[in-house]
Amino acid sequence: MSQIISLDNLKRLLDAKIADGATVVAPVQDGDFVSFKAIDKAENATLQPRAAMQNSIKEFFFPKHETLFSFVRQGNDVQLLDAPDFEKEQIVVGARPCDAAALEILDPLFAWDYQDRFFQERRKQTTVVAFACTVCDAHCFCTAVGGAPDNTKGADALLYQTEDGSFEVKTLTEKGEKLFAGQLTDGSANLKPLATPNGAIKTEEVASWIKDNFTSPVWEKVSLRCVGCGACAFVCPTCHCFDIVDEGSYSKGKRVKNWDSCQEAMFTLHASGHNPRATQGARQRQRLTHKFVTYPQKFGFYLCTGCGSCSRSCGASFGVRPCLEALEQNATQK
Amino acid sequence: MENELRNAIRELLTQKQVDVVIGYGKVGVDGAIGALFITDPSEVDAMVWNDECRQNLAVHLTRPEVKALGKAAIVVKPCDARAIVVLANEAQIDRDNLVVISAPCTGVKKADASGHKTDELEKKCLSCVEHVPQNVDVVVGATDAAQALDAQNQEVAQNRSAGHQTRLAELRAKSPEERFDFWKKEFDRCIRCYACRQNCPLCYCRRCVADKNRPVRIDSSASLKGNFAWNILRAFHLAGRCIGCGACANACPAGIELDLLNLTLANAAQDQFGYVSGKTLGEAPLIGTYDTTDKEEFIR
Amino acid sequence: MENIYMPDPMEVVGVFQQTADVKLVRIRFRDEEKNKNFHFNIGQFGLYSVFGVGESTFNICCSNSHDYIEFCFRKTGRVTERMWDVEPGDTIGFRGPFGNSYPMKEWEGKNLVFVAGGIAMPPIRCAIQYALENRDKYGKITIVYGARTVNDLVCKDELDQWATYPNVDVLKTVDVAPEGGVEWNGRVDFVPTVLKDSGVTGDNSVALVVGPPIMIKLSLPILVENGFKDEDIFTSLENRMKCGLGKCGRCNCGSVYVCKEGPVFTQADIKRMPNDF
Repeated sequence: MSQIISLDNLKRLLDAKIADGATVVAPVQDGDFVSFKAIDKAENATLQPRAAMQNSIKEFFFPKHETLFSFVRQGNDVQLLDAPDFEKEQIVVGARPCDAAALEILDPLFAWDYQDRFFQERRKQTTVVAFACTVCDAHCFCTAVGGAPDNTKGADALLYQTEDGSFEVKTLTEKGEKLFAGQLTDGSANLKPLATPNGAIKTEEVASWIKDNFTSPVWEKVSLRCVGCGACAFVCPTCHCFDIVDEGSYSKGKRVKNWDSCQEAMFTLHASGHNPRATQGARQRQRLTHKFVTYPQKFGFYLCTGCGSCSRSCGASFGVRPCLEALEQNATQK
Repeated sequence: MENELRNAIRELLTQKQVDVVIGYGKVGVDGAIGALFITDPSEVDAMVWNDECRQNLAVHLTRPEVKALGKAAIVVKPCDARAIVVLANEAQIDRDNLVVISAPCTGVKKADASGHKTDELEKKCLSCVEHVPQNVDVVVGATDAAQALDAQNQEVAQNRSAGHQTRLAELRAKSPEERFDFWKKEFDRCIRCYACRQNCPLCYCRRCVADKNRPVRIDSSASLKGNFAWNILRAFHLAGRCIGCGACANACPAGIELDLLNLTLANAAQDQFGYVSGKTLGEAPLIGTYDTTDKEEFIR
Repeated sequence: MENIYMPDPMEVVGVFQQTADVKLVRIRFRDEEKNKNFHFNIGQFGLYSVFGVGESTFNICCSNSHDYIEFCFRKTGRVTERMWDVEPGDTIGFRGPFGNSYPMKEWEGKNLVFVAGGIAMPPIRCAIQYALENRDKYGKITIVYGARTVNDLVCKDELDQWATYPNVDVLKTVDVAPEGGVEWNGRVDFVPTVLKDSGVTGDNSVALVVGPPIMIKLSLPILVENGFKDEDIFTSLENRMKCGLGKCGRCNCGSVYVCKEGPVFTQADIKRMPNDF
């Protein structure tokens, strides 16, 4: 027996949650694009599995722009006002499994020694409902980095679409059980077949090549067409580098945390004018090394879920998959 | 045409007239087309020329990593060749030390969210009258079809009645409040990745005003304030310069219709000053010229 | 939950101009309770902010026996330009202490060789102060410090004061001979040359070398020739940082986060790291 929720009942559940004051985030179609957005009624969401998303759910845990605290100067002294705690309930529905997995990958980073309450509070307040993938495109490669179309990592519930448009619900955590409590009916489900992404990349070999080939000229060669913007990093569910800047005036303002990208030349430029990563090759090497060597060494996960958003978004037809494939040729030679 | 182009490139490389050719190749996922840098005549067959060559490769001409490769030849669409004219007019490239190769074009097709070709022409192609290469060094292929397209599009171009001009006209027909709401919605999605700037052949400043912090002129935050400041400032910096290639809008991961901002100013340059950028080699830049017959009092 | 990005307001209690563009600033917590409880280890760093302008990273450049902390900066960027104008009584923000530290305990009983160039004196000064405060715990102390000109030397007065301690050699040098009757009782030579002439040996000794890349590059072989092992040569790295907490992803060299695993590394550590400096 399976636990089933119809599309209508899922929408009703979301509407009830919105009425309760929760923030509900779901895929929304806007012109040619589908992006994750906070919705004010479930009707506005496109509740079905999808591969190409304009953004990842990252921004609902780690916003592109976030106030850390504000300050007011009073004479010689400065009064500091902490940013409010994140106390609202949040439900992210329709996450791709590769989006949800990124959260679990990022958990240790934000809890490594120093606790980043901004990420952690949102994690605590949010229930993540993922849709098992029934569609994929050529950019998808989750199976090459330990994922799967029905990966449960990072999700509180995983929903499988059935042939008649309902969902079979697999609750994975207490939060997931709580959300769907009393909402499910027993039934037998005729599930849509899962997507079969092409994960034919020898990730381990490439990772080991990256580790040993810091000075290889291949880096400059493969990244020659990269123009050095931050699109890949900003659409990536796992990229988490950030900048800290002050806004406002000398007398009153705030300190904020903004997304930042290692692909931009300014990222490591020192005040002296020296730049340790002066070329795009060095910057691409940093990106791939961080994803496939450094992060696994430190936290045990690849910093990549194979979602393919980077290559879908790249204005220069680059991204992690093309880069891994180019490096693979070198890694498997000899 | 593709083969003729390959032959021309092979010749340039074999004769050692250039060190590198910047062309199009199936470099991305599922054969997605992007820049291919060819230094060896044996690699020439990887070069392609078709209706998926959306990117404007002129962006690579001012990049230090590419300059380091030596003397270059570049393959461009006829419309994109205008960017090279502007770069030369603004003294950013040594035009004599560059070989520009082009072929007549019949328009490029839009891609869907996964990068697959659709049946629809890119918006800018619908009113394009630049299907025949101008100001280039090598033209391959017959120009008849392209000429016919140019003739066919003359009227819509003049009346601005197709493609992104129609889209802009729709927007301009709205009230200022509605237009403001539209841009608020657009800029709210901006993530400040600078894909627009980095993919723009004419955004070549070595240090962009957005990256300067003494003083901070534009908030680097992706807040509505910072995003308005950034996108409007960039459009103004391209006034009288933008050639309308649409590289910014195409590269924008948030799908912001940046081409409309630039088009507004390009239209203004044409209407107010009769200026169309990138048409004439050796022409002085619009913003860098002073004319005593200017209709504005304050400048006289 | 605590906000790890929230600085403590500090009162500026002293500003000491060192050169035309270098100042040393002394600060204390506005919250007296924190002054009592605050502790840091020698070699750790902090993030110092001018509110409304931004944050910058500097080493804590004094020993940890005081009820204040000191840092030293050169006027080079947005934050330091504004920091230049701070006066006693002003408030600046402080986050820290962060990072690892010099193994002052392990160094006990050993001879200490300090090699510094230009603005890199402050990250060594804390260790010198500590060693002199605990003079009987360490062997011979040799300080080789140079700058381009006499006017570029920081902590000038302290150099002469350090030389008055027993068994302490202070070898100061400048690259360019002073002109126009400027008094100078040091040498006119490059730091590596002076280090070579100093006669230091790796015998029961450790060296701490901080300075411009070229000075480090030329000093290391001299130390190695004189018997210093890679494990006995220390340095303090300066990478661009934002958070200081191992999160923002900026300061790493390969898989080493300078802000958490550093800033103090031995030459042996550095040889294991990719050249991402």
